[in-house]
Amino acid sequence: MISNAISLLIAIPLLGAVVSFFAGTKAKFVALIASLIPLALSLQMYLEFDKTSKIMQFVESYNWVPSIGVKYTVGVDGIGFPLVLLSTIVSLLVIIYSWGETKKPNQYFALLLLNEVGVLGVFTSLDFFLFYIFWEIVLIPMFFLIGSWGGPRKDYAAIKFFIYTHVASLVMLLAIFALYFTYQMPDGSRTFDMLTLLAATADKTIFPTNMLNIIFAGLLLGFLVKMPAFPFHTWLPDAHVEAPTAGSVVLAALLLKMGGYGLFRVILPMLPHVDKAFVTIIAIIAVISIVYGAFMALAQKDIKKLVAYSSVSHMGFVTLGAVAFTWMSVTGAMFQQFSHGIITCVLFMSAGTIQHVVGTRVIADLGGLADRMPKFAVIMMAGFMASLGLPGMSGFVAEFMVLTGSFATLPAYTMIVVFLSIVTTAAYHLWAMQKAMFGPILKKYMNVHEPHAYELFSMAMIIVLSLIFGLQPGLITDIMGTAATQVMQPVMTLTQMGVI
Amino acid sequence: MYADYAYLIVALPVLAFLLCLFLGWHLPRGGGFITVLATFGALIVSLGIFSETYPDKIIHQSMPWFADFNVGILIDPLALVMLLMVTFVVTLIHIYGNGYMNGDPGAARYFAEAALFSASMLGLVYADNLLQLFIFWELVGLCSYLLIGFWYRKPSAAAAAKKAFLTTRVGDVLFLAGIILLYNNLAGLNLALKPGEYLLQFPVIYAHLTQIAPDQLTLIALGLLGGAIGKSGQFPLHVWLPDAMEGPTTVSAMIHAATMVTAGVYLVARMFPLFYAAPYGLTAVAAVGAFTALFAATMGLTSFDIKRVLAFSTVSQLGFMMAGLGVGAAVGTFAVGVSIFHLIGHSFFKALLFLCAGSVIHAVNTNDMREMGGVGKYMKWTMYTMLIGSLSLAGFPLFTGFFSKDEIIVIAYEYGTLINFLPYIFLVLAAILTAIYTFRMWFSVFTGKERSDYAKHESPWVMLGPLVILAVFALGFGIAAQEDFYSYLDSNFEHYDLDFAELGVIGGHVLEGEHGAPAAEGEQGAAAAKGAAGEGEAGGEEGPGEPWYIQILPIIVAIGGILTAALFYWDKVKKFDPSQVTGEKDPIRKMLLKGYYQHEIMTGWFAETVVYGTALICNTIDIKLVDGWLNWLSAWVMGFAQHVRKVQTGIIQNYVTALVLGVVVLVVVITLAMEVGLV
Repeated sequence: MISNAISLLIAIPLLGAVVSFFAGTKAKFVALIASLIPLALSLQMYLEFDKTSKIMQFVESYNWVPSIGVKYTVGVDGIGFPLVLLSTIVSLLVIIYSWGETKKPNQYFALLLLNEVGVLGVFTSLDFFLFYIFWEIVLIPMFFLIGSWGGPRKDYAAIKFFIYTHVASLVMLLAIFALYFTYQMPDGSRTFDMLTLLAATADKTIFPTNMLNIIFAGLLLGFLVKMPAFPFHTWLPDAHVEAPTAGSVVLAALLLKMGGYGLFRVILPMLPHVDKAFVTIIAIIAVISIVYGAFMALAQKDIKKLVAYSSVSHMGFVTLGAVAFTWMSVTGAMFQQFSHGIITCVLFMSAGTIQHVVGTRVIADLGGLADRMPKFAVIMMAGFMASLGLPGMSGFVAEFMVLTGSFATLPAYTMIVVFLSIVTTAAYHLWAMQKAMFGPILKKYMNVHEPHAYELFSMAMIIVLSLIFGLQPGLITDIMGTAATQVMQPVMTLTQMGVI
Repeated sequence: MYADYAYLIVALPVLAFLLCLFLGWHLPRGGGFITVLATFGALIVSLGIFSETYPDKIIHQSMPWFADFNVGILIDPLALVMLLMVTFVVTLIHIYGNGYMNGDPGAARYFAEAALFSASMLGLVYADNLLQLFIFWELVGLCSYLLIGFWYRKPSAAAAAKKAFLTTRVGDVLFLAGIILLYNNLAGLNLALKPGEYLLQFPVIYAHLTQIAPDQLTLIALGLLGGAIGKSGQFPLHVWLPDAMEGPTTVSAMIHAATMVTAGVYLVARMFPLFYAAPYGLTAVAAVGAFTALFAATMGLTSFDIKRVLAFSTVSQLGFMMAGLGVGAAVGTFAVGVSIFHLIGHSFFKALLFLCAGSVIHAVNTNDMREMGGVGKYMKWTMYTMLIGSLSLAGFPLFTGFFSKDEIIVIAYEYGTLINFLPYIFLVLAAILTAIYTFRMWFSVFTGKERSDYAKHESPWVMLGPLVILAVFALGFGIAAQEDFYSYLDSNFEHYDLDFAELGVIGGHVLEGEHGAPAAEGEQGAAAAKGAAGEGEAGGEEGPGEPWYIQILPIIVAIGGILTAALFYWDKVKKFDPSQVTGEKDPIRKMLLKGYYQHEIMTGWFAETVVYGTALICNTIDIKLVDGWLNWLSAWVMGFAQHVRKVQTGIIQNYVTALVLGVVVLVVVITLAMEVGLV
């Protein structure tokens, strides 16, 4: 049993970020080590993780600012742990993928590691104050990744990303303050402790429904913008298109998951106590995100923008599964987070590789690349198939569970999704694939060649992961299933769990 | 003992897939022999299981997977005959493929994909639950996509692959909806499942059909039928199948004729109790099948591409199988035996026909029958094996197709006497057309003058060998196996906890059964009373039920059709020319050549206009509205700031004035507030 596992998990990439900032051209080696250790650590945690336990594990709690009730409390359960694992995996692979980065590599790798610190913090914090700090930390590396390494419209995209998500975070912060200032501990002090506050929301005498509705809406907005859900998604395509490949990968694979994590951690425990209209609203948002995202992807000319909209569509499944609030759908939604997190990497990496091998991402200008890049074509095809929900890969299991589970409580919404999104999703994937990779090779691309081995390696690893979790979902759905049961019951505080 | 190795039936081809994928490039002929050995191994295991279980045992193995689902193997008579057929036909096609793909630089990829296909198809067949079946169903679709687009540099191949995937996916959506509905209905029953039982397992589904509401059953049945329509190329989702001929001919034979396309029929057969219990379930199956049988046959009549003729023929024959299941409303489970018998027989002679066509194409180097003619002089083996296949397809007496297809027509007649004659009429018409287009093809390829300068040589023995073996089966399978086959398949659903009489009440079939259908009643009664063995006669010899002219009609139809084709296309007896019947300007001919404008409607109008148009509208909304308000807001803020910055004049006097004014306003406001009692 590792003591202080989570603190180590957060500290090592942080240390790595500082060291690699000063390591000059050797930064990539520092980054590799600083991301390998957390991965090893999280795998060790996976082995030690009690899959059937409903209490928080690996909990650490220290007073931080006792005067205002801020504590450094971290811990993981089935909601957070799969995402911790996802973060360490994706961070490592994205660093390997970026092995050839030559523009200010020290800053580049430092920012990627800082990003890992942020997301790991978000997925493990059990104190709203700490949670919010990590939530905001994540914005900074991403802002600079887009702003310094981005494409032609990087300034617009970086600022739009920052302001849009920051405004939403501020609304969320207000809602957190409302929780904080309303609830008093038995001894009269106040606390930012997440589980204590969430448990208190069930108490109508402390949080009357009207008040809770407003708090709920504020928190919900913060998470939905991050997901992103229709109609708050427009920052995403811009950010993706301008961001460097690694930035896009991290953005889609990890940052969006913060929104989904918020749904499970914060929104679902409150859902039974707020106005029932919220269920309808969220369900509508989810369905529109899925269907509209798929149609938007079909209309895109830039392959990266296509992938960006596919994220909107796929993250809609998370929202749908969460709000349907059955065991199966919630488990499926959690799995969708994990699965989309890995699959989207290979999509963005494909788009990035095409960009730097061929020089353009405009689908209409591509053609016949499979002829010159057969290995890349196979991997990209596998990635696209995973993304369109091919059985045998993780995406299918997740979407199947969401749809099957959601049908029990939201039959009409579920059927709309089934009928309008599945074929459309297949259509935009295959259309892009066919146009870019198949057909006769265009003359101007006769000299393109396979991408670097490290790029192919990180993409191939993701395909392997998607297959592993597609064929043996139980590896991670067992954990999520326990979490889903727990989400649907009243919140237990850490004291009730007996962990502190 | 073989039963313990049942998993090898899928595992061996999967292994072959991995070997060919990663090592095939270094092996001679792309490692094709590995794929052959793998499927041959699967065939051996299947035969072993057959010898152990025939006639009255089933094998069921299962283990938990995740959540409420399991993976498992269910080998009952229905699955076993499919396993035997698939492993047998696919092995032969892989042997043939070793010759056919020789020299293709992508041979390793071909054999890898072919092996994955074999694995998926076999997995589909012996899945013990609907989810697993769906998974393999989709993998089969993937392999079909990959193999149709095998020559990916050809734009038409890439487009055909995409079309196949998307069209079948429309069906898959319905299938998925059906599964979701079924799962939720079963979950809603709160069943007390024994350990090892899972909701979507076939035995569990069968056992609880009676507890599901009839309208739900109909919806589920229609959903599953949708999947079957997509996969088995039934109207209106058949459009992908003729285009699928862009792949190598072996692929057409293996996937798009003998095995994969039968998956839809297999699904309906597998879920037959559900269709039987669902009001309108079988009616829909019969309607779709009978219509498709005729509809596709008309298109087969006009195509010039030899593979497209066979493709339309496949669509039409699959229609026969569907219709055969659909008329089960009148004859009960007997229909499953009849339909699956045609499925098996069809896969022999259709694989044979495709491989013969491939042999011809391999030599002549074109698909266009207008450029062939007189090929028979140079390719004797191909010609005679193809003749056997054609006679079988046309339903010539004593050939396999005669027994299987004609039995479908006979039970359709029974259906007619009880319920509705339309399927019967459609099927008889389709049978006439089948005989005509089959021999139109055969005569124009092998007889007459050489219409172009093609290479004149017979194919190598690695290709002819499988032809001969398949020809033997196309010739003799029907007469040898029919009766045992029916009785074996009839016993299939006796292994499960279900009662067709009870299901018939829900499905509304009981009335017909009581006063109109002695044959069907007798059939079921006998099956229930005596079990499987020895009751095979029941179906084949129901003589007294039908007048003699109904019995003899299929023979007349087959021979008449062949003669008609000969009069038009065989130079020795030619009496008429096709141009006397129809011409370039004939709108009906044009419509048939264009496939009833289905491509224009579905690809041109629906996919490109409606779907893509919707996407473009969404895009405009996104840019102008959803993102527009944001940009408008930021522009407004910027504009406002432009005005406000003018306040910052830099003149001290202005600032002091503002400061004093501000203080005054504050004081006033606070005072007022205290007066009112706010502060």
